[in-house]
Amino acid sequence: MTRPAAPPTLVPASVLRLSREGGVAHFPGLARPRRIHCARYSEAQRGELQRLLATAARACPVEAGADRRLLHLSLEDDRGAEVWTLTIAEEAVPPALLDWWRHAESEG
Amino acid sequence: MIESTSPRIRTFLPPYLLERIAGGSDPRLRECARHTLQADHGFRARAGAARLAPDSLRRGEPARYIHSAEGRQELPGRRVRSEGEGDSGDPAVDEAYHGLGATYRLFWEAFQRHSLDDRGLALVATVHYGQDYENAFWDGSQMVFGDGDGELFNRFTIALDIIAHELTHGVIQHEAALTYAHQAGALNESLSDVFGSLVKQHARGQRAGEADWLIGAGLFTERVAGRALRSMAEPGTAYDDPVLGRDPQPGHMDDFVETQEDNGGVHINSGIPNRAFQLAATSLGGPAWEGVGRVWYDTLVDRRLAKDSDFGAFAELTRDNAAGRFGASSREAEAVREAWRSVGVLP
Ligand SMILES: [Zn+2]
Repeated sequence: MTRPAAPPTLVPASVLRLSREGGVAHFPGLARPRRIHCARYSEAQRGELQRLLATAARACPVEAGADRRLLHLSLEDDRGAEVWTLTIAEEAVPPALLDWWRHAESEG
Repeated sequence: MIESTSPRIRTFLPPYLLERIAGGSDPRLRECARHTLQADHGFRARAGAARLAPDSLRRGEPARYIHSAEGRQELPGRRVRSEGEGDSGDPAVDEAYHGLGATYRLFWEAFQRHSLDDRGLALVATVHYGQDYENAFWDGSQMVFGDGDGELFNRFTIALDIIAHELTHGVIQHEAALTYAHQAGALNESLSDVFGSLVKQHARGQRAGEADWLIGAGLFTERVAGRALRSMAEPGTAYDDPVLGRDPQPGHMDDFVETQEDNGGVHINSGIPNRAFQLAATSLGGPAWEGVGRVWYDTLVDRRLAKDSDFGAFAELTRDNAAGRFGASSREAEAVREAWRSVGVLP
């Protein structure tokens, strides 16, 4: 299990990809990554997202068991390069971050 | 996988080690260790309560305890039905209770196994977990079932084979403890499907040729274009739906899926060993738990089955166990070998 660093500072060009996967079956439609384009949010909202990512990164790694759902996060810079990733058990995800996932647009 | 912080595993981590990590220099590990120490205290408190949830002392009889999370995401929740108590009138509670009973019965009657650890360990399940929660899982020490969202999924206790699937993860944890990633993880998943399906067939008194070989039939609402979560007979055909997507399971090594998703495709490539089991069982006929099921059980408890086994290693062990139990030139041994060839695992 990799130990992720704290997330880099979000800038307007940052793009966060989120996918919720795992569970008792793998449904490609439900696991499809979603994107949050930071440019579309205010500085205050970016700050809120930054705090949630930092909280998620401090959560303990995936827990024991089977068929748990996981949230996979990856942050891309303005050139689309992946600069940070994190996979955590859904139970450890801050509920407000799951709300961001719920409202993020699907990559289709 | 997926190690390090379940209550059951926690008890294996000596407190002095946790204390040392908690005093170490990596801040994140330090915090996790502190969290584990705190949870350990919680677990000890639960161990106190567990005196009221004793293991079964009589071989052949389960000890079941059903809890309700009452819509929260807290485990185990409030206990609502204990071993020997009558129906509660709550379908999720009663389905879980009877589903655990049917699973215990298959393992006992077919394989003389006394619960998860063969020593009568209490069977603990929680229903009504979370809000609109569309999943069921094994948390390392108990089973957890959501109510579904009602849009795509019904409550997860509705399918007996899903209850048995989750319980089988507990049996595997006590035996081979197959690593939950890539091929070993797909074997872990496949074994849970195999015994999940066997529990359903055993409860219905079905022979291999009469079974539907579907996993999780009844879970989808009528809005979903699909029959079940998986098909052991025809992997990749269980659903094809605008929201869920298309069933991604392969049924042959030629179509093996290399992916980082889903812990390296554990619920995807399990289609291959699932189909091998189904082919062997239907070619033999009769109750599947007596012939091929016995061989798969012997393999599950075989000390030679390593944590990181791949499909080939597992297939060789099933061949060896079929020969050991039924004879090297038996119909069973032949059916097992032919099935693994058909799915491209053995040459
Ligand atoms: Zn599973």
